[in-house]
Amino acid sequence: MKFNSLAFRLFATSAAWVLVVLPLAGYLIYSLYRDDVQLGFDSQLKKLLTALSIDSMNTSGSDPVTPPNLYEPLFEVTHSGWYWQIRPLEGASGRRLVSASLASGELPSPYDKKFPTDTTGTRWMNVPGPTGEQIRILEVVDSPGHDPDKTKYSVIVAGPIDWLEATVAKFRNRLSIALALTGLGLVTVTLFQVRFGLLPLRRIEKGLASIRSGDASVLAGQLPAEIEPLQSELNALIKSNQDIVDRARTQVGNLAHALKTPLAVITNEARDNTSPFAGKVAEQAQLMRDQVTHYLDRARMAAGAGAIGRVTQVEATVEPLVRALERIHRDKGIAIVKKIAAGAKFQGEKQDLEEMLGNVLDNACKWGRKTVTLTVKISNGDGKSRPKLLLIDVDDDGPGLTDEQRSKIGKRGLRLDETTPGTGLGVSIVADLAASYRGNLALEASPQGGLGVRLQLPAA
Amino acid sequence: MRALVVEDDKDLNRQLVSALADAGFAVDTAVDGEEGCFLGDTEPYDVVILDIGLPKMDGISILEQWRRAERKMPVILLTARDRWSDKVSGMDAGADDYLAKPFHMEELLARVRAQVRRASGHAKAEIECGPLRLDTKSARVTCDGQQIKLTSHEFRLLQYLMHHNGRVVSRTELVEHMYDQDFDRDSNTIEVFIGRLRKKIPGDIIQTVRGLGYRMSHGPDEV
Repeated sequence: MKFNSLAFRLFATSAAWVLVVLPLAGYLIYSLYRDDVQLGFDSQLKKLLTALSIDSMNTSGSDPVTPPNLYEPLFEVTHSGWYWQIRPLEGASGRRLVSASLASGELPSPYDKKFPTDTTGTRWMNVPGPTGEQIRILEVVDSPGHDPDKTKYSVIVAGPIDWLEATVAKFRNRLSIALALTGLGLVTVTLFQVRFGLLPLRRIEKGLASIRSGDASVLAGQLPAEIEPLQSELNALIKSNQDIVDRARTQVGNLAHALKTPLAVITNEARDNTSPFAGKVAEQAQLMRDQVTHYLDRARMAAGAGAIGRVTQVEATVEPLVRALERIHRDKGIAIVKKIAAGAKFQGEKQDLEEMLGNVLDNACKWGRKTVTLTVKISNGDGKSRPKLLLIDVDDDGPGLTDEQRSKIGKRGLRLDETTPGTGLGVSIVADLAASYRGNLALEASPQGGLGVRLQLPAA
Repeated sequence: MRALVVEDDKDLNRQLVSALADAGFAVDTAVDGEEGCFLGDTEPYDVVILDIGLPKMDGISILEQWRRAERKMPVILLTARDRWSDKVSGMDAGADDYLAKPFHMEELLARVRAQVRRASGHAKAEIECGPLRLDTKSARVTCDGQQIKLTSHEFRLLQYLMHHNGRVVSRTELVEHMYDQDFDRDSNTIEVFIGRLRKKIPGDIIQTVRGLGYRMSHGPDEV
């Protein structure tokens, strides 16, 4: 998952939400539960304390009476953690009563330790009990017969709170596990959701790739409602692009036809006449012809350069071209030997590939003696900085060119304006066409003796 | 030799006809596709010059129709569309050559002669027949190195016979290939021209095969 991707954004936001919300919710549930348990325990202790103080102090005598144990059987079990104790305050003389569970032990008084009272006059304190376990102590101050003039007694009830801590800790652990599992589940579901939800985008990506590679002409298939407009707009764009290119080609063809026939007439008429005027006309007509050819080629090139996703099978293009060339040059009996890498595809218009190969091969056939070799290889680029290339070599066994001639014709970066049209080799149009595809044309001495044309074009 | 020119531009058509006639061809002409297609279907031409962009029926369709009907005469396509894709589709339709407009008439004539020669089975530009030698490029006939002056009709006759040397050529065939369709044909005139030719070249080269026609002797099959 890339950092800058829709999938990452969707996943990150929902994962962040889960990470924030789940711990918060956990803490809330935990504290509610703890408070609830604590409250229940406290109210039980409070009830016991109230009952004890009432039972022991409801007397007309000056000493408290032993309360009947109607409330908690554990008060009878030694060191059970549940205790009660009644004794006079501040060392005053009086009767001291304790639960059987306390045995010989003594409970500290929150009153002595100056703990504040709550709204009901009760003091609360957590201390280690007689056996060292944690206990919670409640204390009220009362006098026999609830008479404020009589000796004040501290009435204490204590209960164990170890279990409380243990219960809460156990709950916390279970809660943590449950929430962690929930979080994990949510993240997994989000991951799946993102993948599944963005699947149609993957399909668009694949569709566009196959349009580029020429396996498809439109973005096909049923896409979700949200991206359907994108699909139809894209298809419309591809079609209109194609239409514009086709229209431009047709117009250029029509223009060519409309101009060239009258030019042919003028040229022929002028050449039949020997007057200086006719000579001038012939010369100018020749110039016009060259210019027309040159700019028509440029126009066709410009029309072709913007086309999206046209891919041409090299083998299928070369086949009829070689047939035509062998027919054109059949008097010479020249053989065109072709070695084409299987599955070689040109990223561009078929007509342009035909034009380049046609011109180059035609030259080779004109100048070659017996054999012309056409080799097409594919160089696999590294995918990024170096794209996939078609390496097209055309070699003949003719007289070839001198270094000087070659450098004149095959100069790279040949500007349109500086190029004389109609050099008779058709190389300038090939160089221009190759350049319009960001390709390259080079001429060198062929190992077969003649001219070696090296053409590099984008492969698909 | 008979040629057919199918070209809708009247001026170019006229120029082609006059250039071909000067080169010793009997020329028929059509300015639309249907007429051209019909002529090519019915008349025995030695070469056809066919424009691709034509009214009523385009050149490629005409060519395909002819080739389907087993009409095998050489066809040179003429077109302003000079991309290789156009050339390839033209050659695939059965054309023998392809010439882009505008062109030089000399270029066209050279290609026409090359096609005629090839169609009659001669690989070289010069056709020899005993001491006679026909240079198809310059349209000159020499006998033992000496140029022979011939009238237009004499040249047409000798040219046809030399292209088809070694086989018997009937009078009807000669008439069909020497005159255009509008000419008032009379096979007796052939005999007159043969007679004149025999005076200019060694008399025994053109043999009369009784009841069948004429044959050039000393052709390659007899050497």
